[in-house]
Amino acid sequence: MAEKKKNQVRPKKKIRGVRASQVKNVLITGVTSTIGRMLAEQFYFDERVGKIIGVAIDPKPYYFEDYSPERFVYIRANILKYRELNNLFLSEVFKNSKINTVVHLAFVTSTRFTPEEAYNINVEGTRNLLLRCIETGTIKKFVFKSSMIVYKIRPHTPVLLDEEAELNLDPNADPWIKNRVDADMICRSMMDNPKMDIVVLRFSNIIGRNITSELNEFFDMKPCLVPMGYNPMVNLIHAKDVVNAIQLAVHKKVRGVFNIGGRETAPLRTFLYYNKNTPVPLPHPLLGPVYGFINKIGLTSYYYPVEKDLLRFTALPDWSKAQKVLGYRPYNRVRFG
Amino acid sequence: MTPQQREAVWRLVDRLLPKEEAKRLKNMNFVDEGFGYDVFGFEKESFALAYLFLRFFYKYWFRVRGYGYENVPRKGKVLIVPNHSGTIPVDFIMIAIDLFLHVNPPRVARGIVDHFAGALPYIGLIIYRTGSVIGARKNFEVLLQRHGETVVVFPEGTRGIGKGWANRYKLTRFNVGFIEMALKYRTPIVPTAVIGAEEQAPQIAKLTTVGKLLGLPYLPITPTFPLFGVLGLIPLPSRYYIYYGTPLHYYKAYKPSAIKDPVLVRQLADEVQGIVQDMINKGLKRRKSVFF
Repeated sequence: MAEKKKNQVRPKKKIRGVRASQVKNVLITGVTSTIGRMLAEQFYFDERVGKIIGVAIDPKPYYFEDYSPERFVYIRANILKYRELNNLFLSEVFKNSKINTVVHLAFVTSTRFTPEEAYNINVEGTRNLLLRCIETGTIKKFVFKSSMIVYKIRPHTPVLLDEEAELNLDPNADPWIKNRVDADMICRSMMDNPKMDIVVLRFSNIIGRNITSELNEFFDMKPCLVPMGYNPMVNLIHAKDVVNAIQLAVHKKVRGVFNIGGRETAPLRTFLYYNKNTPVPLPHPLLGPVYGFINKIGLTSYYYPVEKDLLRFTALPDWSKAQKVLGYRPYNRVRFG
Repeated sequence: MTPQQREAVWRLVDRLLPKEEAKRLKNMNFVDEGFGYDVFGFEKESFALAYLFLRFFYKYWFRVRGYGYENVPRKGKVLIVPNHSGTIPVDFIMIAIDLFLHVNPPRVARGIVDHFAGALPYIGLIIYRTGSVIGARKNFEVLLQRHGETVVVFPEGTRGIGKGWANRYKLTRFNVGFIEMALKYRTPIVPTAVIGAEEQAPQIAKLTTVGKLLGLPYLPITPTFPLFGVLGLIPLPSRYYIYYGTPLHYYKAYKPSAIKDPVLVRQLADEVQGIVQDMINKGLKRRKSVFF
């Protein structure tokens, strides 16, 4: 035990001047995801953050063992299940931690879930969590990690999409897109409540090790099948910038929807070139069946239907609002190869 | 393009173009996002490659003559508003090359193209790489307000190029979008007349249903197309005259909120149409021959 305590990473000493009322005690859902793990680490060393509760459905991973239990507590819970969610909010740990901020990252994108299961986790889970947070009255900030795939993309869509751009409400859209849109809209519908500030961050394509974004998996394929005659501009955001944006949203007194883009903007095939991928152009009506087949036989985990429009038409995030209101700027470059 | 392809383009430029033109291509300014492209996908090397090919048409096929370059601002945002004609939209290409060659420092003309073009494979790609963009309002904001570019907008839209031989040089009613953009983003308008494009491919008829099947607004019938197949799309070598008129600074007289007044916006659009029509009429009177 003593040995364990010795090995624990000590957080930085709190800087004098951070008032107790300004200290954020944060609950992170989906903390075992790559972004969740990075965020937990960032908050652990952030002197403006007090207690951190990490929630996920997995057993406690080894990398959280080094954290001091005074600052970081891991709870295994399925936020989809009402009872588990209730138990979490009634637990001593939750009460003692005086949680005032929730960062909701739990969102399944893996194809191992059926669309119904995914809907329950993604949409119902978000709704339950959000309602429970408002009920407590002590949670003052709710940050939801959304995605640029919520936007409707057409050939004549403006190149830069701001937060007011049309959402993809197409009834024939892929279930994964619908989940994102539904969860995003649930957050938006509750944004006017006076008790809690809700912030929705719509990220462009997140790139990083072990990140399960569609484009990340697309870049992992060799060779890459691309639509013939198209080469849209694509924006990539480094996972560190994602964490920085969430941190800004937690600390700033803001509410609303923000698009968050990364530093890298170039045509899709330029990124493939720097990543040493070989693009294989195919007529776009063939891409769906071909990707469906190679996905089924296990050659790729890339799920084409979610990004089929993004591979043909340019839709970049206009993050000028985030720059102005949150003070966000992307600093990290994506490394290829 | 890959770095190697870019190098090859510049080698080609140095070998094939006069020093002055190569220098102009290299000195073109645009808002680079970091990989040699702007947010719309414009790439200097793609423009240079297109210029290498289209220069022949500008200099030797259409033998373009331009007047009134002093009316085009040297820097900052500007809306170039010309008539649209000629069945195939070559008029924009000639204006773009004309501005590139005669305005100092060289400016990239950002053409606003119709929505359907963005869906076309390869064509949509070429449009974006050479500087044009799809006519969405947000795109105007980025081009004018944030980047301060030279934007060429044809208020007649595809109606202009599809109006047929009998209606040549008679402007169809201008759309009002360009006035709204000019007032909203406080941008001067340069009325522009293009003479010569109507005769490049006289349109006898148009097949709307067949065109729609191909993803186009219509399929034109000209004396040479579809009679001579794809070769029939090569325009006739009529001589082009481009006149740039005195800039109109409506934004000085009206606030951006004036765009909420549809009557005023319509009135200003009609006023610009009248000015362009006058410039066309004067240009036609001055012209001695269609081809020489």
